[in-house]
Amino acid sequence: MIIKIERSGGIAGISRSTEIDSSELPSDLVTKVKKIIQNRKLATVSSKVTPRGAADHYAYKISINDGESQIIIECNQYNLQDDFKSLIKYIEKHSKRDKISKNP
Amino acid sequence: MFFIINGKIIDRHNYSEIHANQFCFIIPEYVNKKIVEKGSKKQKEHAWKNLILTEQLRGRRLVTGLMSSMFSVSNKLDRTIFDTQNMEDLPGNIVRREGGKAKGDKTVTEAYAYSGATYNFFKDIFDRNSIDTRGMKLDSTVHYGEDYNNAFWNGTQMVYGDGDGDIFQRFTKSIDVIGHELAHGVTQYEAALEYEGQAGALNESFSDVFGSLVKQHSLKQKADKADWLIGNGLFTKKVKGIALRSMKEPGTAYNDSTIGKDPQPGHMKNYVNTTSDNGGVHINSGIPNRAFYLTAIELGGYAWEKAGRIWYITLTERLRERSNFQKAANSTYDVATDLYGNKSSEQIAVKKAWSSVGIKIKSKKEK
Repeated sequence: MIIKIERSGGIAGISRSTEIDSSELPSDLVTKVKKIIQNRKLATVSSKVTPRGAADHYAYKISINDGESQIIIECNQYNLQDDFKSLIKYIEKHSKRDKISKNP
Repeated sequence: MFFIINGKIIDRHNYSEIHANQFCFIIPEYVNKKIVEKGSKKQKEHAWKNLILTEQLRGRRLVTGLMSSMFSVSNKLDRTIFDTQNMEDLPGNIVRREGGKAKGDKTVTEAYAYSGATYNFFKDIFDRNSIDTRGMKLDSTVHYGEDYNNAFWNGTQMVYGDGDGDIFQRFTKSIDVIGHELAHGVTQYEAALEYEGQAGALNESFSDVFGSLVKQHSLKQKADKADWLIGNGLFTKKVKGIALRSMKEPGTAYNDSTIGKDPQPGHMKNYVNTTSDNGGVHINSGIPNRAFYLTAIELGGYAWEKAGRIWYITLTERLRERSNFQKAANSTYDVATDLYGNKSSEQIAVKKAWSSVGIKIKSKKEK
């Protein structure tokens, strides 16, 4: 299972893309990822609500691919669920395949 | 489709995850407004919360007026600096109040001094009473998060990370970054430009414009002496770059093996269509940024005197939530015409500046 985190926005506007194979994750995080997949019926879930007037927050695109299907979750720092927070923190810290996303 | 459940905004996809017993009644908006006006203190607070949530969902401006009637107007600068001590629970502990002495934490000192400089800039130059025109308190949180490489405006306050020390230093270091964040508050109470696509890039650009003007004003710099950079000095020495953005030459602020190259265009022909960064709000802002820079340079003198005034009136009186680049360009042209007259050098400078970034003015005032 490949988990990809794409972060964009922030005052610097510098995008960052990180990828990790679930075999590199600690078991509690693997459990979380499996839970995320099981609870999602839709292939793409988007939630972009922010407080009124808010600016310079991070936007996230999380893709989970288990070989058969791919789930994409789009959200931002205001509606990032707790399950994702610890996952993102771990992946951004430990990913060996950290790369700057090529500018679109 | 969205729901408000126990004060939280729940959208369609996770609505099904909420148990039925957590559901509470959604009070109609007109009832909340009545409570805000006539209820007890506690009722008012609760109703107010609900109205803000409704406001967030509908993007309407009505509530701002109601808030004004709830709270008294202040005419004084009132800063509070909070510290989350590398956690993320806002706002954090109070470490300095208005008039309090500096205690040696330079991040606190910078957040305090530069938010004061921003307040004074808007007051002295545009006769504006704080962010909301009614003396809104200026709250800032420092030491937010762990190795946090960002600063943001959450709709009510400023928040600053310390940077990871590898790419970024502390975000309070740049006065124009603090001016940038506070200007997002001004935009929120004025044009309320939505944070997506061209309107979002305009929102970003106005923050860069006023952030840079706050810096120039604090240094008493004329347009040709200013650096026209946003976040100069935020990068560590390891990074090949001078700043986050250049208003003068968008796309040239950094070019580094770790963080990549500055993606900003300075002309419509290089406009970036993307879904990331809310549709490239920090990318395409380079186009209106450069139009402002070119206007200011053409007019000479202090940039806040003419170009700044034209842009300020455009933001506060002419633009709306979904205004695009063309609308902003036309509006600055109309404002320049109203302020300085037809065929004035100011009007001509505005037209020329937008033309240089690939936007042709379409205005009834154009003769």
